[in-house]
Amino acid sequence: MKHVVIITILVIASTLLIHTGLTNIDLLPAEASAQSVEIDQLFGMYTWMISALFSLIMVVLVYCLIVFRRRKGETGDGAYITGNTALEIAWTAIPLILVVILAYIGGKSLGVIRRVDPSAMKVKVIAGQWYWQYQYPEYGVTATDLYLPVGHQIDLVMSSNDVIHSFWVPEFRVKQDLVPGRTTELRVTPTLIGEYKVRCAELCGTRHAYMEGLVNVVSQADFDKWISEQQSAAPADPALRGQQLAQDYGCANCHSTDGSEKTGPTWKNLYQSNVELSDGTSVIADDDYLKTAIVNPNLQIVKGFPANVMPDFSTTLDQTMVESLVAYLKTLK
Amino acid sequence: MEQQHKSSALLLGLLVFGALAILTAVEFVFALTIKLWQFLVLIPLIKAGLVLYYYMHISRLFETDLDSDHESYAYKLLTNRIGLWLFLLSDAFIFGGLLLSRINLLGLTRPDLNQVLGLAVTSILLISSFFANRAEILMECGERKQFIMNIAVTIGLGILFLVGVVGVEWRLAPFGPADSIQGAVFYVMTGFHAFHVLTGVIFLAIVLRNGSRGLYSAEKHWAVEASVVYWHFVDVVWFFFYPALYLIGTLAK
Amino acid sequence: MRKFFSLGLVRGLIWQILGTAIGIGLLTAIRQLLGLAAWKPEPAIVFGALLGALFFLYGVGVLNNWIRVAAGEEIQEHIDESRLGWRRYFGASLDHKVIGIQYLTLSLILMVVGGTFALIFRTELANTGMQFLTLMEYNTLMSLHGIVMIVGILIGVAAFMNYLVPMLIGARDMSFPRLNAFAFWLAVPAGIILLSSLILGGFDTGWTGYPPLSVRAPIGMQMFFLGISLAGFSTILGSLNIIVTIIRQRAPGMTPFRMPIFVWASIATSIISLTATQLIGLSFQMVMFQRLFGMGFFDPGKGGNPILFQHLFWFYSHPAVYVFVLPGLGLISEMLPVFARKPLFGYKWVAISSIAIALIGFLVWGHHMFASGMAEYLRVPFMYSTLLVAVPTGVKFFSWLGTLWRGKITYETPMLFLLAGIVVFLLGGLTGPPNATISTDLHLTDTYFIVGHFHDTMFGGYVFPFFAAIYYWFPKMTGRRLNEKLGKLHFWLMAPAFIVLSLVMMRVGMLGMRRRIADYDPALNFVIEHKIMTVAAFIIALGVLVFLINAFWCIRKGEVATGNLWNSRSPEWQVPSPMPIHNYETPFEVVGEPYDYGLPGSVYVKFKESE
Repeated sequence: MKHVVIITILVIASTLLIHTGLTNIDLLPAEASAQSVEIDQLFGMYTWMISALFSLIMVVLVYCLIVFRRRKGETGDGAYITGNTALEIAWTAIPLILVVILAYIGGKSLGVIRRVDPSAMKVKVIAGQWYWQYQYPEYGVTATDLYLPVGHQIDLVMSSNDVIHSFWVPEFRVKQDLVPGRTTELRVTPTLIGEYKVRCAELCGTRHAYMEGLVNVVSQADFDKWISEQQSAAPADPALRGQQLAQDYGCANCHSTDGSEKTGPTWKNLYQSNVELSDGTSVIADDDYLKTAIVNPNLQIVKGFPANVMPDFSTTLDQTMVESLVAYLKTLK
Repeated sequence: MEQQHKSSALLLGLLVFGALAILTAVEFVFALTIKLWQFLVLIPLIKAGLVLYYYMHISRLFETDLDSDHESYAYKLLTNRIGLWLFLLSDAFIFGGLLLSRINLLGLTRPDLNQVLGLAVTSILLISSFFANRAEILMECGERKQFIMNIAVTIGLGILFLVGVVGVEWRLAPFGPADSIQGAVFYVMTGFHAFHVLTGVIFLAIVLRNGSRGLYSAEKHWAVEASVVYWHFVDVVWFFFYPALYLIGTLAK
Repeated sequence: MRKFFSLGLVRGLIWQILGTAIGIGLLTAIRQLLGLAAWKPEPAIVFGALLGALFFLYGVGVLNNWIRVAAGEEIQEHIDESRLGWRRYFGASLDHKVIGIQYLTLSLILMVVGGTFALIFRTELANTGMQFLTLMEYNTLMSLHGIVMIVGILIGVAAFMNYLVPMLIGARDMSFPRLNAFAFWLAVPAGIILLSSLILGGFDTGWTGYPPLSVRAPIGMQMFFLGISLAGFSTILGSLNIIVTIIRQRAPGMTPFRMPIFVWASIATSIISLTATQLIGLSFQMVMFQRLFGMGFFDPGKGGNPILFQHLFWFYSHPAVYVFVLPGLGLISEMLPVFARKPLFGYKWVAISSIAIALIGFLVWGHHMFASGMAEYLRVPFMYSTLLVAVPTGVKFFSWLGTLWRGKITYETPMLFLLAGIVVFLLGGLTGPPNATISTDLHLTDTYFIVGHFHDTMFGGYVFPFFAAIYYWFPKMTGRRLNEKLGKLHFWLMAPAFIVLSLVMMRVGMLGMRRRIADYDPALNFVIEHKIMTVAAFIIALGVLVFLINAFWCIRKGEVATGNLWNSRSPEWQVPSPMPIHNYETPFEVVGEPYDYGLPGSVYVKFKESE
């Protein structure tokens, strides 16, 4: 009996101690979404549970190790106790009830974070190796940074161009994979204005670590301003779009537009010119040539230039983007 | 096994075969008319049950002999049986996984396959199981010559099945493995199954050779029993694969 | 020189090289004959590796008996291997004790290799930016660390099950000794093929190998898939043997509830590994076929489904973690009574809890896929089943406490590791429910929190009990004991450092550190934490080094210990150490309960009077 009293006191003390410790160090990022508030409540519950159960087991364990250790000179065995059916039933039934309750709470919590707001703003998210692209169908805007108005539910409709990626803003808590060939959905209601980072959370190849992007949660006014800026900036002219793409995807790193020598052939005067290939043949740089040069460059390496250096854009750039780039290239004299 | 038991065992084998054949025919007709996938799952289950009990003698696993000498032949025989069945249990998980993949990827569609050919190879395999069962019964009676004949027929039919599937079906199929999801599923399922038929044929061939050299007796013929039980297992797998590939669902576009 | 080439391992390796070359050549020739472009590296290397493995098995000698049986020859049931001495350990031995030690050695080698990979990339992670590894190198080392450790654990589990089970049930050997040798030696070329991925371009998918990424990964990916398929087959055959042996070879009087508790753990483990393992083989083979033959199982462009892979993969890989921990938890239950000098509290409940964990464990795999895009409604049942596993696990914890209560506890090295196992597995177990609950898991999945959780469960459920078992049964294997001082040093280096490591992992994970990243954003302010983790990893490695030195030294020069060192009631300790070659020359009968410490005059096993 004495044992039980001491242990109970120690367990309570330990629980409070551990819980205080855990809640006083930073364990979670800022709460920046309605979902994070709900989820953090659950984390709070688990912090209590973990503190209590850890204390219960550890206190009894350490207590036994100290009180029931073999003293010097002691011989013989311990007490002959093979079990206790009442205890066994108790410590099977109580955890059973507890886990069912936890699962039920978890289910309710899931319902809260999955709550559908019919007026949610739809944003299409497309991920690929190793970039994020966003489309705002209601506004006709495409962007590489995610701007979101605070206080509104956002319905992220997501897909991947190549392998499985995952959308995660730690401050929002919720996470969802992007799978090629299907659409997945994530609803987030940002509640805190600020600049955050989306970080790809499913290993997607060599540059997975760097697949991060900007997420800006702004006021409704700032968001509207941004939208109108995007709408006026978006070039309807394919050649201008192509120029933007060439910038976005880093083509200028290897291809000059003024004739100067770089890693890849210059684009100046490229269209309809006579190109000598590494295998000795000559071709005219027509539309087909340019398209192939973008999505399958190793099929026609230009003489004097290295093969297997240009990145693989065959799945990154869709047909429209390729056509825009070709349109742009045609303008370079 | 005594003469009387032998003829009743052979008769039972024939009756079970008859039941299996009728069930297969019913299956085929159901697929053409009623088109309820539930029937096309229930019938294979019944066929499997029949084979597991009457051909594979699953009840032998539960014969108790725990007081016997652990070094005796009888004790080791039951140990071997348990080992074989656990192996089959494990193997069943691959085929189960393939079936679940087929359901996930094809749903209620099915690949465009030649139904005559499908029914033909299914029948060949079923008949081969009949002869395998006969072979085992005859070995239990010590009838070496008849055992050899029946095993040889089993092997022949097994080879015919392989020719039918890998030789003919695979060539006639209007799709290749890389063309469509129907192709991928069809080839992987029939491929895994054919691999097991091939290993079964090899196992039976070894038993045929050793049997013809007099290595087995009515009392001691574990290799015969093992190879025949394995063969029946391969047939049981086909009981499920056949409707899954040929009968259930509508043709995909 | 001739003696060297007569060693099974050496012959196996030579034949493996031969087989690989023949395989590559054969496939190229076949392609030529079929009118295809002759040289394509991937199919040639895959086929070569497979043939190499088969040739290895022939070379090491595990196929000889079966070939002779197939040819109709008689073979001897039992062979006297004693004249071979130490050479038995390098070839196809039929003795479960030798095979157990072979498994143990292979396991330790794999753990050291896998651990070294971790030390390398932990050094890289100590600072932001890439210091000395390329991104592909990092991803490969990280992936290999995972899978090599997993295989190392599976092999270690096989080691203890094979070594102990026949002894614990009073058997002379396993039911199928030749199958046992085959299963062990299959693991060797499997491991070689797995590690060959390092020189074949590596692979950047993590050990989970998800398509579509794994379809585009370098050839090293295929070596991973093939190696694991072979290792899986080895596991399956090994577990078949364990189950049959336990059913068929028990000593008279050993009713199910009079078996040592580790035997129950072994049955539960083997039920899982016999069956579920086939699914990881299937999932990997389907990706291999997609790569080799263009079969679009997981290619959405061809009507395939990437998530199907995850279902097939996790259907095995979740139960697999119970394969990893059930033996270790069984070892804790087995040894704790000896050091507490008290019966195992609630033995029947503990035995059933292992079976319950194994069975429920088949129903939880979806909790790895909460964010995957699988059917929404499916997530909830998985949450319920996952939380349910906590119940039988709790039964074990409470039983351990009950075993210690009013005991007479001593603190030899094995006991220290058992206690570390309990504490660390507790941490792992308590961090389970937040992962099991979908909404919190959406934050935690794919972060270092998960990494911390599974390192806790792996160290608590396997690594620490495994070391406890080595310190405990080393005398039974060698007739000498490991040095206690070095043992305690090993413990005090490894246990605190590991606990710190896992706590820091969980912290950074919750704060935003994703897993499987070669580099991390300096703005997260995790540099100090990463430095701590790197230092902790090196301290753990130092502990392992101390252990290895201890082991190498004591095999020959350790303090002699031929008797019942731990005063255990278990049958194997009633005969001298090292264990006699046929285990029990005089058979025994079970006449009492296994753990009746403290009951005066009680006996567990009684040896038959010699004639």
